[in-house]
Amino acid sequence: MLQSFQQDCIALLREKLAKGQIDRRQLMAGLAALGVAPAAGAQAQGTRDIVMVNWGGLANQGFGQFYGDPFSAANPGYRVVQDSTGPSVGRIRSMVESRRVTWDVCDSSATGAVLLGGLGMAEKIDYSVVKREDAIGPTFTMEYGVAPYSFSSVLVYDSSKFPTAPTSWADFWDLRKFPGKRLLRRDATCVLEAASMSLGKPLNAVYPIDTRGALSQVEKIRRDCVYWNGGAESEQFIRTGEAVMGQIWHTRASVLQRESNGRFKFIWNQGILQPGIQVVPKGNPAGAAVQRFLASMMANADGQVGLLGLLGNGPTNPNAASRVPAELKQFNPTDPANAALQVPLDGNWWGANYQRVNQDFLDTVTG
Amino acid sequence: MQARNAGWWALLMPAFLLLTVFYIAPILQVLSISFTEPELGFGNYERILTNRSVQRTLSTTGRIAGITTVLALVLGYAIAYSVTMASERARRWWILCVLVPLWISVLVRAFAWVTLLRRQGLINEALIGMGTIQEPLELVWNEFGIIVGMVHYMVPYAVLPMLSAMRDIDPRLMTAARGMGASRWTVFSRVFFPLSLPGVLAAAVLTFILSLGFYVTPAILGGGKTLMVAEWISVQILDLIRWGFGTMMATVLIVTILVTLGVFSRIVNMRRLFGGGH
Repeated sequence: MLQSFQQDCIALLREKLAKGQIDRRQLMAGLAALGVAPAAGAQAQGTRDIVMVNWGGLANQGFGQFYGDPFSAANPGYRVVQDSTGPSVGRIRSMVESRRVTWDVCDSSATGAVLLGGLGMAEKIDYSVVKREDAIGPTFTMEYGVAPYSFSSVLVYDSSKFPTAPTSWADFWDLRKFPGKRLLRRDATCVLEAASMSLGKPLNAVYPIDTRGALSQVEKIRRDCVYWNGGAESEQFIRTGEAVMGQIWHTRASVLQRESNGRFKFIWNQGILQPGIQVVPKGNPAGAAVQRFLASMMANADGQVGLLGLLGNGPTNPNAASRVPAELKQFNPTDPANAALQVPLDGNWWGANYQRVNQDFLDTVTG
Repeated sequence: MQARNAGWWALLMPAFLLLTVFYIAPILQVLSISFTEPELGFGNYERILTNRSVQRTLSTTGRIAGITTVLALVLGYAIAYSVTMASERARRWWILCVLVPLWISVLVRAFAWVTLLRRQGLINEALIGMGTIQEPLELVWNEFGIIVGMVHYMVPYAVLPMLSAMRDIDPRLMTAARGMGASRWTVFSRVFFPLSLPGVLAAAVLTFILSLGFYVTPAILGGGKTLMVAEWISVQILDLIRWGFGTMMATVLIVTILVTLGVFSRIVNMRRLFGGGH
């Protein structure tokens, strides 16, 4: 499309702002003089954007509706924008290093928060704004990230293939009693916890993980496994019978159980309960306002319950579990009855060990 | 003469500058990370000699690319030969059939192979239905599946340079050989095949180089059990944020490709690869 003169004036104003030749107020005055109405992406008339980055799918809608909208309603002048390009730690690093940060809140992981924090590439969470008591446990409030939702890696199986149901990771590793292909995520996180528990470690003694023991346990079944990278892929592997038992996210396991009328079942026992950690890249465009947004997500129990209904993400606010409708309780990872059966992920252990251990894991499964 | 040359250079300059500034310089900048992270020096490159993971990734990639190249050449040679020998009208249809797969996205093709090869896929269901096998065959989530997908992708790239070489062969040579009493096999093995060899070599270089950098096909058809160089680099850069290690492998890949091209450009007319023909 041919650029009009007016568009070029706007572009010029923005360049001047970027170079620091004019300030934001002068930009607004200039834009007003040019008769520019607030358009998508433009921060005219004092509307400030908070850019939230997720991994796509229904998250765009869910995060917008249950995190973004309540915050905007309570804070006029702020708009929460969703971006679903996938905030991998590598992409966050390249953004921070090139000093062109356009993201405010990134749907990362406990490991990502520790790694980025250690490199000085994430903003600390301001716990004078965000309330620790808005989370059910310390798993969800880290130095460089907070989790307004939780998820779990659970054991799912095809009940038509086994006369007796598997009940633990020990059964998962028992290829004689439960023959058939296994499905694991191609990532050491959660797989090594499951391997440790299959060796008889109780829930409270999984950490620190005995990596050598766990990896040799993975080595034993690696030829009977397929590995998934994405959630949709994991669901497909089970649905099409490529694997008869797997470790997948509870959100996918819930869908399988519902849609197959119970042919595919999952168990909470020995699941690995993980925080959906949100990370703020260093030098984020919205600045300190993002802390208020994080606080709002953490405090909003009803929004979190709404998200459980839409996507299956478990709430982390202590007031939320009791507000979950009865029929959803069995699918809520943080329901007290379900949470008691699982082991909460130790994000700090993974942050300190992920690079080394995950490389060893990849070498084991591709060996 | 001098002035005329200067004119040509002036015409080339804008494209050259554009490439240097927006393509070559950023690539060099990224690759230089392999010498500066985690510390200054050749530490990352030392690991080619010491690290089992690096060695295995390189050998896996080399093996898969090699097998793919051989199979694509065999299949491609047969196709190119039939197309050369076909009538003018049939030849046009043949060439269209070779080109059509090139226009289908690599992602779509990989998923199509999954549908065919998986346990409850068309092939296994058909074989079980006919009673040929009892248990489904493991056709995918292993190197076999990767090679099927990659050969399928590579055959057109193998056909095109060989076809151009074969069409340059003067058909009167074969007629003459036949006239002097050579059998069909002798005509092929002593006349046609040696003359088509430059095309075969060019096709081999092209297929091998393209196979080295495959990402999507092994990621989808390998079931996570096989790591080729491209995916290994992506894991290092995006997930493990070990950029020095990842860019080292990227440098190794680029150098391998340039060396392969350099060596073979002395043997083969490289213009054939890029559609120059004569």
